[in-house]
Amino acid sequence: MCGIAGILFKHMDIDRDTGKALIDMLDGCQHRGPDSTGFALYGDDHPGQIKMRFYVGTGNEAGDAIGRLREVFAEQGAELVEDSQIGSAYRAVVKFSGDLQKFSYAVEHAAKVMSIGESLEIVKDIGTAHDVDDGYDIHHFRGTHGLGHVRLATESDVKPEAGHPFWATGFSDVAIVHNGQITNYWKMRRRLERRGFEFVTDNDSELIAVYLADKMSQGVPLKEALRTSIDDMDGTFSFLVSTKDEIGYAKDHLAAKPMIMFENDDLIAIASEEVSLNRLFPGKALDTREPPPGSYNTWSRST
Amino acid sequence: MVTIDLSQVSVREGNEQIRAAGAEGHDIEVLNPDARHHIGVGLIHPVTVTVRGSAGYFLGGLSDKANFRVERNVGWGLGDNMYNGSVVVGGNAGAIAGVAIRGAEIVVKGNIGSRAGQVMKKGTLLCAGNANFMAGYMMYGGRIIILGDSGERLGEDMSGGEIFLGGPLNSLGSDATLTDTEQAEIDDIRAFLDRYEIPFKGSFQKVVNAGKKLRYGTSETPVRSIPFFTFSGQSDYWNQKVQEDVYIKSQIGRYRVRGYGGARAVPHLSDLAFRKDVTAAAIGDDPVADVEMKTLIGGINGAKPLTLSMPVMIAPMSYGALSRSAKQAIAIASGMAGIAENTGEGGMSDAQRDAAKQLIFQMLGGRLGWNIHDMNRADGLEIYISQGAKPGFGGQLMAKKVTKELAEIRGIPAGIDLRSPSRHPDILGADDLVIKIEELREATGYRLPVSVKLGAGRIRDDIKIAVKDGFDFVELDGMQGSTGAGGAEVMEYVGIPTLSAICEAERALASIGRRQDIEIVLMGGIRDGVDAVKGLCLGADAIALGTSAIIAGGCIACMQCHVGQCVTGIATQDPEHEKRYKAKVEAQHIYTFLESVRWQIAAITKALGHTSAKQLSRDDLVALTPEAAEITGLPYEPDRRNVELFQAAG
Repeated sequence: MCGIAGILFKHMDIDRDTGKALIDMLDGCQHRGPDSTGFALYGDDHPGQIKMRFYVGTGNEAGDAIGRLREVFAEQGAELVEDSQIGSAYRAVVKFSGDLQKFSYAVEHAAKVMSIGESLEIVKDIGTAHDVDDGYDIHHFRGTHGLGHVRLATESDVKPEAGHPFWATGFSDVAIVHNGQITNYWKMRRRLERRGFEFVTDNDSELIAVYLADKMSQGVPLKEALRTSIDDMDGTFSFLVSTKDEIGYAKDHLAAKPMIMFENDDLIAIASEEVSLNRLFPGKALDTREPPPGSYNTWSRST
Repeated sequence: MVTIDLSQVSVREGNEQIRAAGAEGHDIEVLNPDARHHIGVGLIHPVTVTVRGSAGYFLGGLSDKANFRVERNVGWGLGDNMYNGSVVVGGNAGAIAGVAIRGAEIVVKGNIGSRAGQVMKKGTLLCAGNANFMAGYMMYGGRIIILGDSGERLGEDMSGGEIFLGGPLNSLGSDATLTDTEQAEIDDIRAFLDRYEIPFKGSFQKVVNAGKKLRYGTSETPVRSIPFFTFSGQSDYWNQKVQEDVYIKSQIGRYRVRGYGGARAVPHLSDLAFRKDVTAAAIGDDPVADVEMKTLIGGINGAKPLTLSMPVMIAPMSYGALSRSAKQAIAIASGMAGIAENTGEGGMSDAQRDAAKQLIFQMLGGRLGWNIHDMNRADGLEIYISQGAKPGFGGQLMAKKVTKELAEIRGIPAGIDLRSPSRHPDILGADDLVIKIEELREATGYRLPVSVKLGAGRIRDDIKIAVKDGFDFVELDGMQGSTGAGGAEVMEYVGIPTLSAICEAERALASIGRRQDIEIVLMGGIRDGVDAVKGLCLGADAIALGTSAIIAGGCIACMQCHVGQCVTGIATQDPEHEKRYKAKVEAQHIYTFLESVRWQIAAITKALGHTSAKQLSRDDLVALTPEAAEITGLPYEPDRRNVELFQAAG
């Protein structure tokens, strides 16, 4: 149960206020989910390097996890470029050129992975958008696009790793935020598990992310993967997905979960409620659109 | 003209200013609305509110007589539950525009989101652009005019009213059908369009209810009824109840609908005993004078709490299931006993309001009888999610009870088998619920406690949502609770026992450290003061009595509540039957019964060694059966079943 937000600046300029825009949008719909807040942010990338974010907790627990991770990096042939500990998260940039899926499953046994990607970084923790900003300095984040999520935990616990966005475990740079419930979760998950995919949570949002990433890894365009997801997933959902260069949405046939969007030459912004979109343009009445039931679309950065 | 700038003041302050300006007859202009929610809710004066920009959810909701003009877009629930008055939106509207309106004129110049006009009763909703999925869903009356595309499943499960479509028909919903238009109707639409300056010259198709789902095909065979007390006998197999069930199904070919609750034996409060031998304790001549029982409920977040003379309330029961006289008797008795009464579904009557000193007003998914004026004269507001006897189902009121008068109050067609919606149009998740609760608080100036009625199902999850969403208290209802009409199998097998409900709720709240942030009123088969004390010991802040109050007031438990020909005049809308019910006499009986409950609570509390009902705790209880011990986590002491042994040992 939650509120979602996403923004993509259409031009190649990576130096945009993505972090601040998402904080504003999430603050606008914080009433939808006061338990935890998360961000998926896409910044600059360097060829051959991947950014990794882990939940490691604090104190000795964190020290142990970071130690284990450094061992796994070495075992897997990943060369550490830089790392740091922020709040309960550990951020590492490594040079790695092997099989990312195997690598990600290996590091998952050392600590809880929040994201892996060339430009993606997921930051999530308990508290409001401003709380998470205080702990992780989101508002200084410059980038091209990103997703955000505020969560009211209903069935699972209030833990940072149970919050959104979810990374598509094993797939570089794919993230998702989701409002709703996938009712054929186990059926879909077992189908993917039989094909060798691992799931690190029991959260249905991770399933959507892996489902889409799997399609894309087979060469299916994101837009087509979104189309099939609407028929393959049962339940009520409105979700946003992002890749290194794209942002997309899908909405179920019952239209039970809200979603509204605003687009101009510069950006596309999508959120659960218009109040979030209006935060980007205070005092202006926006020409917004509500996507119809069973619809989907994508936008990518252009040159 | 009063100007309110929402970049300078909060919506809450803004709404207070809007209401104050409205009371003085001033029009209002709202600047920098920036799609904020709840603008203008609860306004009941004939003034015009102009919103310079876009508004969020529930623009003009729970209002009467006021006129709203919005320059651009609005979010979900436009004009929610508006009585008279009007709204004109220059841009688009989100989902459920015109939800539950009862007379308002709502005009959207752009497109409307899904389920427009859901459960509307009266008035006009006009969409000059395209509609979306299931416009007219479950509408009971009034008129929807769509000039553009119909969207999918137009008129899904509508039971009354008319939809006029000027654009292409995408698809019709279940139980909706096309019919011929009449010239007078078209003339009236043209006049409406002219009034709102909407140019449209095309023709119209008309969609109405097809009438195939509004009544059960076969009525239940009248049988010589077996009273509940026999019906719930010890044998679970071929007892009289099972025989009766089979017989009725052999005649009607479907599940049976009946009154009362589950008759299956499940662990209950009677499977618990007090740790001390309360019969042996000295309680003095007047335990009521010696034990503190006054209980405040609903004040923890700053609203004015209900003040109960003992930790007891009346459970929600509707005027509809029960006669006006029966509701009046209960209201009188509740006032005499100094406790709170609850309207249940279907609206508030003057007689009930006058008689009950404290009255909770309940809101259900069908919004039957729900309105701002009665909210304003209530002492508490309650959002019904489900009830213990039939969690996940809406109320059922068979055609015989849907009289003209009752239909008028509820705003529905007379004579239908009313199956109330099982879910709210605007509460599809915990996130929507937050916004709904705030709408109720905004509309009534944050004065009243807002509670939630939860039928016990997935209590572990639901109670966490209740506390996180900020309810003041929860009315928690187990499967031993009764109902005026429900599917027999649902009542037997769907809910969870009252005992499980309270224990799961306590554990779930403890697990997130939030027990102090919500109060629990437990109900569902609480029969007397002894059960009440056990419920309080398990953690409830108060308990509520429904069936026992009805029985005290003359019910004979024949289980034919749904039929509508109650011989005692309690569960009927037939004046001939109701005539038999002597409200004042029965009020005295109910009051006398409530006083017996008071004495029992006081006597047992004192016998357990306490001076206040608040001191009751789990330490005062033991479990008599393995099942009850498993559910409650209380020590299993089967020896207590044998009173002689207990006394000899003790």
